[in-house]
Amino acid sequence: MTSLTHLQRLEAESIQIMREVVAETENPVMLYSVGKDSAVMLHLARKAFAPSPPPFPLLHVDTRWKFRAMYDFRDNMAEEIGMDLLVHINPEGIEKDINPFTHGSAIHTDVMKTEGLKQALDKYGFDAAFGGARRDEEKSRAKERIFSFRTAQHRWDPKNQRPELWKLYNTRKNGKESIRVFPISNWTELDIWQYIYLQNIPIVPLYYAAERPVVERDGALIMVDDERMPLEPGEVPMMRKVRFRTLGCYPLTGAVESEADTLPAIIQEMLLTKTSERQGRVIDSDSAASMEKKKQEGYF
Amino acid sequence: MNIKHLSPEKLNERRMQAVKLRLDGVTVALASQQTGLSAPTVSAAWKSFREGGWSAVPVRPRGRLKGQANVLDTATQQRLWEALYAHPPAEQPGWSSADLAAFLRNEHGVELTQRGIEHWWESEGLKHEPWPLSALAKQRSQRGRWYRQAVAPRFDRLEEANQRWQGGVRRVVHPQRPVYQLYLHGPRGRMWMRCFKRPPVADDYLTAMQALIGKSEESNRPVALVFHGAWLSASPQVTAWLSQQTMFWLVPVPADMGLAS
Repeated sequence: MTSLTHLQRLEAESIQIMREVVAETENPVMLYSVGKDSAVMLHLARKAFAPSPPPFPLLHVDTRWKFRAMYDFRDNMAEEIGMDLLVHINPEGIEKDINPFTHGSAIHTDVMKTEGLKQALDKYGFDAAFGGARRDEEKSRAKERIFSFRTAQHRWDPKNQRPELWKLYNTRKNGKESIRVFPISNWTELDIWQYIYLQNIPIVPLYYAAERPVVERDGALIMVDDERMPLEPGEVPMMRKVRFRTLGCYPLTGAVESEADTLPAIIQEMLLTKTSERQGRVIDSDSAASMEKKKQEGYF
Repeated sequence: MNIKHLSPEKLNERRMQAVKLRLDGVTVALASQQTGLSAPTVSAAWKSFREGGWSAVPVRPRGRLKGQANVLDTATQQRLWEALYAHPPAEQPGWSSADLAAFLRNEHGVELTQRGIEHWWESEGLKHEPWPLSALAKQRSQRGRWYRQAVAPRFDRLEEANQRWQGGVRRVVHPQRPVYQLYLHGPRGRMWMRCFKRPPVADDYLTAMQALIGKSEESNRPVALVFHGAWLSASPQVTAWLSQQTMFWLVPVPADMGLAS
């Protein structure tokens, strides 16, 4: 018997989790944020159920503030793979024109992402939602189980989690409860990049270093992606060679200066880095324990 | 015979060998032939041996030893930095090495050559080489096409070298201070620069561009600037200023043209 590589073991674990969810739940959905983790999740899902397409739709909770390249990539991807792509935008957010600049990152995230996600799950009646969170991203994600149970109000109780010994998952839930499932929880950022490279998985070009117009905001390099980005008086965006380690709403996502414009170069950079990719997310530094607080309230 | 390509170690080996041959009674001409050294070199090695023994035969190492280079003292470096962060001399688009040398001499009584200042630029990461733009003219690449379509039509209309400028803005990674550098290359690749502790704003760019226009106003000739590193058209202030200029042509370098260093 040949032994599996660590990536093959992670892949097998993720595929097993996906099949388990499809077998045990009635109406699953895969959250699709268009980032690299979503790209890997989608690839794993297609592998898990090949030759059929995955038996669940994709759900993108849109905030209207993602990078333009992400929207282009999302639309092309949905067309190419032939899966149902549901896009939900919180109508209240549209009505009140919630945005990161005038309302701040906390309110924007709460209304457009957390509330938007809860609305979408309720609207379609999904009882299980796959997410691409990983333990190495952030400390509250590190302690969350692979099968993370949510109350009828989508709240998470970190002190009431089920044991997952020997990869045995208890999927029983009460009527209105739902499950957030994280098949790539045990992967690291480096695993993701190696897998993308080995499997030749398409990703948004923003992950590759290129000259992009950026401005500095509180030490973060924010890309000026469209005309909605307000510039300070006299401010002129600089063209700097940057890439993104994580992708979210563009005004809240910091770029890193990098020369890595190929996958091997990105992997090499990953081998040397000592910081989490989430350091580039403004929303993670809102306040102490903010991610855990957001997760308790229903954030992905 | 040219021995300039030889390392000091190799040269010394051959000098020792030449002396041994001479000791064995070999003529200068034959020793020269066998070692590959010139006859005067063989004679010089032989003379050194006779005057100082074996220890006198090797040549002295070339150049300065490590650590013996002229290093600017901290106070002078501080003055240079302060100057670079301040406004350049009137009517100049930035600080040139000549301006800095004059500043040190006039304001602080410090004598420093332009070459010394340029070496200091290099050690601080401030030196920027001009792009070989004219070499792009015949390139069958994206850069070549861009040069032929965007740069050549302007540059070809300018007769004098001091009408053709290139420059840009970049962040210099420095261990002790924040450095955003606005640099310009004029005739014969001469460099002007100004440094900032924060990204330059529209006024900073306009001051530099205005100085370029000022340089050409004497001759009433237009100026073209190929510029990299800033998205100037995103600034209403810069756009408005540019729209009023008839003697100034700005040619932005597109992203990922591979010209930045």
